[in-house]
Amino acid sequence: MALVGAMGVFPRAVPRSPAQSAVPQTAAISVDRLPQLKGELTLYLGRGEGGLYENVLKAIQKRNPDFELHIRRGPTAALANSIVAETRAGLRRADLFWAVDSGAVGLVTGTGAAQTLPAELTQQLRPEFQFPDWVPISGRIRTLPYNTKRLTADQLPSSILALADSGLSIGWAPAYAAFQSFVTAMRLLEGDQVTIDWLRAVKRRAKNYAGELGVVMAVERGEVDVGLANHYYTLRLKSGKPEANVDLAFTRNDAGCLVNVSGILALRAGELPVNFIRYLLTREVQSYLATEAFEVPLVEGIPPPQGLPPLDTVSPPTLDLTRLADLRPTLDLMRKAGVL
Amino acid sequence: MTRWPLTYFPTLAIALVAVLPVGVLLMLASDNPQGFDARNLAVLGNTLLLMVFTAVGATFVGVALALLTTYVQLPWRRVWLILLAAPLAMPSYIGAFTFYAAFGPGGEIDNLLGLPTPAVGGLAGATVVMTLYTYPFVLLTTRASLSSLDANLVHAARTLGMSLVASLWRVVLPRVANGIAAGALLAALYALSDFGTPAIMGLDTFTRVIYVEYNAFGLSQAAMLSLQLLVIVGLVLFLESRVRGSRERPGRHLFLWPGRWQTALLLVATSPVFLLSILLPLSVFSLWLWREGMGDFELAYAWNSTYASLLAALVAVLLALPVAHAAIRGKAGRVMERVTYLGFGVPGIVMGTALVYVGLQLPFLYQTLGLLVLGYVLRFLPLAVGSIRATSENLDASLVNAARALGASPREAFQRITLPLTLRGIVAGAALVFLEAMRELPATLLLGPTDFETLATYLWRVYEAGYFGQAAVPGLLLVLISGLGLVLMFSGERWTLSKAKAPNPVADA
Repeated sequence: MALVGAMGVFPRAVPRSPAQSAVPQTAAISVDRLPQLKGELTLYLGRGEGGLYENVLKAIQKRNPDFELHIRRGPTAALANSIVAETRAGLRRADLFWAVDSGAVGLVTGTGAAQTLPAELTQQLRPEFQFPDWVPISGRIRTLPYNTKRLTADQLPSSILALADSGLSIGWAPAYAAFQSFVTAMRLLEGDQVTIDWLRAVKRRAKNYAGELGVVMAVERGEVDVGLANHYYTLRLKSGKPEANVDLAFTRNDAGCLVNVSGILALRAGELPVNFIRYLLTREVQSYLATEAFEVPLVEGIPPPQGLPPLDTVSPPTLDLTRLADLRPTLDLMRKAGVL
Repeated sequence: MTRWPLTYFPTLAIALVAVLPVGVLLMLASDNPQGFDARNLAVLGNTLLLMVFTAVGATFVGVALALLTTYVQLPWRRVWLILLAAPLAMPSYIGAFTFYAAFGPGGEIDNLLGLPTPAVGGLAGATVVMTLYTYPFVLLTTRASLSSLDANLVHAARTLGMSLVASLWRVVLPRVANGIAAGALLAALYALSDFGTPAIMGLDTFTRVIYVEYNAFGLSQAAMLSLQLLVIVGLVLFLESRVRGSRERPGRHLFLWPGRWQTALLLVATSPVFLLSILLPLSVFSLWLWREGMGDFELAYAWNSTYASLLAALVAVLLALPVAHAAIRGKAGRVMERVTYLGFGVPGIVMGTALVYVGLQLPFLYQTLGLLVLGYVLRFLPLAVGSIRATSENLDASLVNAARALGASPREAFQRITLPLTLRGIVAGAALVFLEAMRELPATLLLGPTDFETLATYLWRVYEAGYFGQAAVPGLLLVLISGLGLVLMFSGERWTLSKAKAPNPVADA
């Protein structure tokens, strides 16, 4: 609520450390330089991270009194399915779709319903996150949260494939969408056979959890040595409990450190939807999502959330994120391995 | 060939509309034909166990409470009735979540009172939670049947030396088997299609497999699995249709006057149900409210919920009347009635998406309140049909024949005989649809007008975001408004009772 309450606009990006503030802010634009929004837009919002997306939307509306935003909220997959059905029926109701999962974005862009966006907008993002018809807003890295009482970082393998033979006990959440995206990435990068072997091998050492926050909590309590989870669960846990016995490790250049994103696409042509997206890429919004939601900013020059190394030092695999929508073979594979 | 009863025509139309979403499922599933997966067998076992245990549990609790609230003259009878029906107002996923949060080591009960409690989970936990949130189905349908029974038979049995309990068991219950079965059917279908409760309790059921597929953008697989689930639904519907109560004319109401200590004992025995299903979730929410503050709730959400649910209850009852009538008149009518039940057994989100496809064929209706109400009606029509049929079946056909013989037109016979005598079932049916629409979520999210925030969608939003404290006020309002609905409807009952006496002289004539 701080975002809305403080000034009805956006908080100043507060640099966390002198070293980080020295980073030149080249690409990130301030909201002050953006055009006023005028008119109406309908946004389909796939459930927002911790309600923080809602705060961003409220702040944008407050800043633009002549702009009216209609929001339809729902589970990401349900809204994506609705958009596909609307497109088939030739009845467009959504102007914008903000999804927490790039797979849902892929489902919609796959139908050709998404508008091509101007290059100068997409170029605000880091090169690996530039797509013609959608814009990633914030990132989450696959990580290995480990129990600091039982392990040190150098005892962890630097390859996700090696984790299977590490002899460590592992916590994972196979039914969780983020985990399934990670397995999809592994399947695309390493092939089906390697992936199914890995799933079977890890299964022998793994304990199941319903969600990845549960995985991180189990690691912290020492139920397992190491987990497989998105980075922010660990950071959120540590922000509430600084002495928590958990820290983050990263694999190198494989699916284990995949950077997945939430993203937005425009279904209506014209200036207004594009200008709306510009607001989400501003320094203020990107910093807010980094500091409050611990998400990885994807615009150049915004420091990462506290506790996370800069994105340049992580070595995520090269992969077109929209291909993560191809979940069907992944689920078949996971069923075959007996993990789902 | 005999002429079709008049009510068959609207019933046929309603059945066709009700089967539309199933048609959409067939269309979606045909994209990717995939037969039944043997790996789903274990999951199917869990699903069936949960369904059976829930139906048994709901019948046990629901029938006992129906006898209590119908026959026993307790102090503040109406208040008890409302409190005991109130679990229908609580979305079961909210109930399941608060159970999960309250019990077990490190749970809120442990934190606050230092009382160690066992964790609630698995099949047992899911059964308990599911029973607590479905028994009012049985309570309401059984009650509606009980009230139209003639107490003289019980008096006769007692005069002949049968004890009260034995006469209730051997004389009363067999005669309301229809009502009980109608309620148990609803509880079973609810258990089959609910996702939240088994997910939170960590039980692997069919709905979970469907949700994994759905969330993985496998809409066609989700549709295919839902169709397989519909096979089970069909089987349950068939079994329920075999249950036959007796048909007889209504008569004098049975009253039991307990002594003071008996009253106290009954209330003490009843209170755990209310404590667990309503007081526990609301207390947990209040605790969180106190810890976290209220958030940005607006009263308009409550109005939206109430308005849409009232409309749904009204339309559902109007449509349920011919369907229930047709079901009694003949085999074809019975089949058409069964068809309208199918939608109730499909998981909400799959049904919601199927209704999006239906709605898109009616562009002027898409994302309007009208479509939302239609969605509610398609999902919850069985609730109204079930309770209206249960009371209509006990209606003595000779009453109508007598009225007709005495010169009343079919319309007059309906207005003066059938309607007043089934009003109790109509009221109970409307109440069920109203309460169920109040707590419905997926169709509300997908079909309602954009920006149409209801209590249920707001609850979902703050729950998803992890702001549990903000769920307290809407949760409380949801229970309160549903309670008000129940007050109105139960107070209408008194009027019904006096009205219903009017045609009796005709019967005696």
